[in-house]
This record gives sequence, C-alpha cells and structure tokens, in this order.
Amino acid sequence: MSAVAHAEPLAPYRAAYEAASLGESGTQAFRKAAFARFAEVGFPAAREEAWKYTSLRRLETRKFALPDASASLPDRADLPAPLADHVVVMLNGVLQPRLATLDRLPAGLRVRSLGQAMRDGEPLGALLRVPSGGGTERFAALNAALCPDLLVIDVDPGARPDDALHVVLFATGAAAEMTHPRILVRAAAGSVARIILDHQGDDAAERFVNAFVDVEVGPDAALHLYRLQSQGGRSFQIERIDATVGQRGSFLMHDAQLGGSLARLDLNTRLVAPGAATELTGVFLADGSRHLDTHALVDHLAPDTRSLLDYRGVAAGRGRAVFNGKAVVHPGAQKSHARQSSRNLLLTPGAEIDTKPELEIYADDVQCSHGATTGQLDPAALFYLRSRGLTAVEARSALTRAFAGAVLSRMDLPRFATAVHAALDGRLDRLLENSA
Amino acid sequence: MLSIRDLHAQIGARKILKGVNLAVRPGEVHAIMGPNGSGKSTLASVLAGREGYEVTRGTVEYLGRDLLAMEPEDRARAGVFLAFQYPVEIPGVNNAYLLKAALNAVRKQRGESELDAFDFLSMVRDKMKLMQMDESFLSRGVNEGFSGGEKKRNEILQMAVLEPKLAVLDETDSGLDIDALRVVSNGVNSLRSGERAIVLVTHYQRLLDYIEPDYVHVLSDGRILKSGDRSLALELEKRGYDWVRQEAQVA
Repeated sequence: MSAVAHAEPLAPYRAAYEAASLGESGTQAFRKAAFARFAEVGFPAAREEAWKYTSLRRLETRKFALPDASASLPDRADLPAPLADHVVVMLNGVLQPRLATLDRLPAGLRVRSLGQAMRDGEPLGALLRVPSGGGTERFAALNAALCPDLLVIDVDPGARPDDALHVVLFATGAAAEMTHPRILVRAAAGSVARIILDHQGDDAAERFVNAFVDVEVGPDAALHLYRLQSQGGRSFQIERIDATVGQRGSFLMHDAQLGGSLARLDLNTRLVAPGAATELTGVFLADGSRHLDTHALVDHLAPDTRSLLDYRGVAAGRGRAVFNGKAVVHPGAQKSHARQSSRNLLLTPGAEIDTKPELEIYADDVQCSHGATTGQLDPAALFYLRSRGLTAVEARSALTRAFAGAVLSRMDLPRFATAVHAALDGRLDRLLENSA
Repeated sequence: MLSIRDLHAQIGARKILKGVNLAVRPGEVHAIMGPNGSGKSTLASVLAGREGYEVTRGTVEYLGRDLLAMEPEDRARAGVFLAFQYPVEIPGVNNAYLLKAALNAVRKQRGESELDAFDFLSMVRDKMKLMQMDESFLSRGVNEGFSGGEKKRNEILQMAVLEPKLAVLDETDSGLDIDALRVVSNGVNSLRSGERAIVLVTHYQRLLDYIEPDYVHVLSDGRILKSGDRSLALELEKRGYDWVRQEAQVA
C-alpha cells in the first residue's frame, strides 16, 4: 500500500481536480480536504476485504476527464419518460432547472441546487459531508471534491406529497468522462415521501459515474427510495447511499441494479434511535460480461430497531455478481430484529454469484436471521411447463421472472415497477434466447 | 394412435423398461396396472419426454410420428398430455398464465387463433365448475400451497382446457379421498370421446370403478405380462400380482 503504487491511477483525478473550476466559490477548502482524503486512501489494494470479489484494475487504467461544460446537452425528449408527476433532472451531475417541474412541486417538497442551499445559509459541512469508513469512502471523498452541484431535496415536517419525485440522473457526452452526481435527501419529522433515483446514460462513450446520496430520515418520517440503475453497458458506476434513520422513522428502499459494465452499490443504513426501521429489497441482473456488486450494511445503534434485507440476484453468460449483506447489532440495541435473505439464480454455467450474509451481534436480547442460496432453475418445474406446451425459452423465462417477481411485487409504485419490469423483460428475453 | 414397440428404457445403468409393447387406438381407455417399481411411471415419463431416461431400444409412434424424437413441448402441442403423479409447485407463475400460455401453444399448433381474454375466462370457468375448483385458484401460483387433491384436480382441469388427443394419467388416484376421486373421475369421464385416447397408470383397481377401461394391462418388471378387459383388474384386486408373474414364468 505504498503511495507510489497508487500514484499513477490517481494522476488523472488529480489533474481533473487541479484543472477544475467547480461551481460555487467558498467550497474550495472543503473540496481540497475531500480530495486529500481520496488521495490518502487511494484505490483499493488487492487484499482489501470490501473489494474481495470486485477488481477495480480496469477502472484504474482509465483516464476519465470531467465533462466538457460547453458541450450541448440533451433535451427532455432524449431523457427517460417521467415515472412520476414531479421530475428533476441532473445531467452529468448538474441540476437542470429547465428540465424540471420545479414550478409545480407539491407543497412541502423543496428542491434546491448547491448554490441556492449555500445562499440560504446551509453549512457546507452538512452539504458536502465526507463519510468515513467502508469500501467506498474514497469515492465519496472524490465525489465531494469534484461534484459540480448538489441536489438538495427537503421534505418538510409532516408533509406527504401526493406523488413521487422522479430524479433522473443522466450521464452523457461523446468523450470518456466521469461525472459525480450528488444528492442530499432530508425527510423531516412526520413526513412521508417517495423518491425515484433513475440512473441512466447514453452509450456514446465509456464513462465513470461516481454518485453519492446522503439520506436523513427524521423522527416518525417514512422515506421510500426507488432506485433503477440502468446505466449504459460501457459504464463504470460506483454509488454510495448513506441513510440515517431517527426515532420510529423508516427508510424503505427498492433497488434494481441492472446496468453498467462494472457497478458497485454501497448501501449504509444507520438506525440511530429507538423504533427506527429499514427495509432494503432489490434485484440485480448480471448478464453478458457485466459485474455487479452490492454491499448493504445496517447498523442497529438503538433499541427496538428493525431491519429487513431481501435481495434476489440473477447472473447469466459470463456475468458476475457479488452480494454482501451485513447487519451489526451494537451494544445496547436490545429488542432489535435483523432479517436477511439473499437468493440467487445462475442461468448459465459460466456465470457466478458470490453472496455473503453476515451478522455481528453485540446485544443479547435480539432476533436475527439470515439465509443465502444460489442455485439454478428447477428442472422439475421446467419439465412441467414444457409438458404443457411452453418452449424451453418460455419456461425458463417464466421461472426467471417468477424468481425476480418475488422482490419486484413489493415495489409498490406502479409506474416504477412497470419501468423495472420493462427493463428486465427485454434483457431476459435476449439472454434466454441466447442461452437456450 | 399410439404404438409402442419393444420399448427399453433405463435411468443411469438401471434398466426399468424391458420390452414394452402396447397399441392404443382413438377412443380407447387403457389401464396399466402393476406393483410398485414395475416401471409404470417410467413409461408415463418416457411418453411425455422427461429428461433422465435413456431409451436403449424400441420405438414409439404417435399419429405416425416418432414420438421419442420430439421435444416435450412439441409432444404437448401435438396433443399428448401427462397428468403428473406429483404435480410441481411453481410459486410466482400463476395458474391463469400457465393455462393461457399452454392453450394458446396448442391452438397455434392446431391452426386456431388465440382465445381472447373474455372467451378464455368463460371457458376456464366452466371447466373449473366441473372440477369443483374455486376461481381463486386462477390467480394463485401453479399448484402453490395446493392440497394433494387440489393438485390432482388442477391436472385434470389442465387436461380439460387443453383437450389432448392422448392423455396419460400417472397415478392420478394416489392420495385422493373418495370425494376427490369422484370429482377427478367425473372430469376424466367427461373427456372420453371417440377421438381421444386415455392411458391410466394406476396401482389400485379402485380408480377403475369410476373410470371404466376398455383394456387392462399388467406391467411387471418392465414388461406387459398380461392383457385383458375390465375383469382382469377385478381379478388382480382379489388375487394380487404374484399369480400373473408366476403364470408368465410358466409360460
């Protein structure tokens, strides 16, 4: 782990940092400290536990630049269809008021840029926080150093916006570029809100999307976060979502990790006060030569906290997926419940899924369970369907959809669920035809 | 319709069928009886095309085609139906979807157009009444959480919807109480017709009180040792299977 070994892959990032003139003045000191942290930690060494099954060597060899600010950006027509009444768009990490429905947001839902939030007197330390710990600390620090903007979403106390807010995070550009989208969501006491994070990008170039999402869920608030990651097939996508949940608050996340060439999601949830709860459910599909890695960590830091982690993964072709779920029940977090389930399906012999459920328990009066399975489609079920006239492809497709459907059926936002189904269906059809 | 000649089949190195001969004509109901391990279910599985069985000798001709060369789905589309001894539970694939996909696959093969949702539902509802099944079964996963009797009724419901030319019922009576046996038998009897052949594979003659066969065959140790009419089944009920084996050895 010598500094020399890390110097070369960091060079393009240093060059980008030094050449950048990023957004708001007054952020320089923060960015400098953040970049220093990134440089200090550097890329993961081969033996780093958090990156055991995911190598970033390919990313390290790339020299991504920051996006050309003068390039013409796509219009609404080029972007994904709205999945909710309220839409906010970030292009290459910059909030685009012209593409948003900012003028008709529902009462109690506020959306601001970094500049606006600073002008409103928000402390930079909260806006551009660099989290510590975890395998993606380095990338969160890099994000803080290089993010051109910040999308601040506030749900006011007691507010219950009628429809979800659809946040489109679109990566675009003709050159090999990196973008650093950053979002801060604060759900104030007693509020109930639904937010869709929709990661997409064009496939015109290889790119690196390094996202950071900071979530604060206040007392008695419920925040539903729906995430669809369908980045282009040439993209590196690294994302960290840090959520802190207050007393009797709940953070409910539905995740569909579908895109990118290499994608890593770190989902860190801290249940910091009694009664806080989280449910993290998701599905991932590693087909082709895609590599998808999901690390979900729940820290139970107070009594009577509950967590449910329920992920289903599918891999096919030369696809590879990693799922690491971990619940830590800290001392004093008595009467807590932690449940974990990781079920995985390998459609072809060349595919691989590494799953590791972990529980660390430092309290004696708790209920915890975990289970992980990796298997193939049931031959008896396949024969049963074929004996009724379904082709082998149709039978495999029906069983694969049924497998993923157990998680998808819990995505209680119809337009989002439809979008995920559509994204999955097209891909499943192609890969099942090819593997038949 | 179906002509089985000198059929030999094995699982791995274990020889199970050792020269089965059987001819089935349209409109006929054949019962294949035999002790446990005689090869009855293997015969049913080989006819439907289940993987894991190796046919080492013999032929099976169905409507002039080489049945053994056909994929399981092609057999189904050509009108072969197997009612499973152990119907498979498939959570997440709903019954209505399976019935519709299966029916449309068969109709396509017959050169018929797909049924629209309305016609499909009204047809299925009628057949469900016949099988005394609640409509809520349609929205449930295939056989998911069904009792043993419900699974068997569901098999016959599928048969009623698909209207096969050749139905092979593998131990459809096993695990049924007397009421369920009556419902299942009624369903099967309603499907008897001059164009349809039915092969009943069963251990007990009880089923034959409800579904009267035209022919009864005794399968033992992979061969059909004796064939006769309904009275053979009654004799088996009284005397068991041993005398057939002894008689065959003497012959």
